[in-house]
Amino acid sequence: MHIPDGLIAPQAYLPAFALVVPIWAFSVRKVARSFDEALVPRLAVLTALAFVLSSIMLPLPGGTSGHLIGVGLLALAFGLWPAFLTYSLVLALQSLLLGAGGITVLAINALCMGLVGAGVTLLVYRMLARWSRPLAIVIGVWSGVVASSVLVALALGMQPLLGSDAGGQPLFFPFGPAVTLPIIVGTHALTGLGEGLLTCLVFGVFEKRVLATT
Amino acid sequence: MKDRLLLIAWLLSVVSVTFIHDPARLGGLLVLAAALVLGGRETARLAGRALAVVALVNLAVSLSYVLASTLAGEPWGIFVLRLNLRVLLLAFLTLWMTRHLDLPRALAFSPSLKFISVLALGQIQLFKRMLLDYRMAFTSRHPAPPPIRHRLGGAGRQATALLEKAEIQACELNHGMRSRGFFDDRA
Repeated sequence: MHIPDGLIAPQAYLPAFALVVPIWAFSVRKVARSFDEALVPRLAVLTALAFVLSSIMLPLPGGTSGHLIGVGLLALAFGLWPAFLTYSLVLALQSLLLGAGGITVLAINALCMGLVGAGVTLLVYRMLARWSRPLAIVIGVWSGVVASSVLVALALGMQPLLGSDAGGQPLFFPFGPAVTLPIIVGTHALTGLGEGLLTCLVFGVFEKRVLATT
Repeated sequence: MKDRLLLIAWLLSVVSVTFIHDPARLGGLLVLAAALVLGGRETARLAGRALAVVALVNLAVSLSYVLASTLAGEPWGIFVLRLNLRVLLLAFLTLWMTRHLDLPRALAFSPSLKFISVLALGQIQLFKRMLLDYRMAFTSRHPAPPPIRHRLGGAGRQATALLEKAEIQACELNHGMRSRGFFDDRA
């Protein structure tokens, strides 16, 4: 889902960095408080986990597949701030090591997928968990994926408003929200369901085994 | 120091490129960046990777724009040129940087970031190997393409195993670092 470099105008990504930096600082403080000396190894392992989780193929009908985003699973297993922080680190590593995604769009991707994705997943999960936990996981993760995709679609869709040349041709991403919203959100409404089902399967087993060993 | 400078130079150049909109200038810079990248070893692999990274998104956006503009009777050439040159230039710059950058060294200004990057890179290799084992085992058990239920189950088992392994690794790393006095040195 993440946006690559070159499609987003500096007028959009620079304010996003101004917004995300204090949130990163806040989340480091929150995570440091709960993990104390275990912070460094825990963050490193969670980052590696999120990096590799995003390479798990999610089977889709028709023999195709998509990638797991994994931020919902991280949020449910470890909480909002560790999920946001590790997902931001993953996006940075993907950009620095693989050239995937991009460093200029890191802040927008981190806000859309890391913060909003994890936040919406947890919010919906907590609202629904008292009725049915498996359903709360599926709907929570699906809502997180869809909310992230709405924001990504809006971030891309606002680019035509941010500049065009003398001939009227766009400087960055050329299509408005009328195009980006149905395409991006429509696709992720489907992959989000697969991710929700998979997270439900994984989280149930993980919780049982962690409880059994503690 | 060299790695930190490289990281800063790359960051500045990537940001600067997004302020350039003239296709001729972007093209000139792309030739320069390509010469930098293609001058080294592993030329074909890197060039192929750069193209693979940008091709899908660029093709989709460019073709859709060409189609929409043609139907509306509007020009599209400058935009398509600008978009593709800019994205390719950014991909080449990033690949050139990834080939020369030692990330933990570049992050040495912050001991915590440096340790996190070293540990994360090591753990990524470990998890990738584990995932590969699971995938190969799954493939060997299914000579014919399995139904979606089995594929979903396979993906679920991979993710569960990773999550469990991560829990164990985090504890082990913490114990290992504590026993070697890592936290005492930093106190």
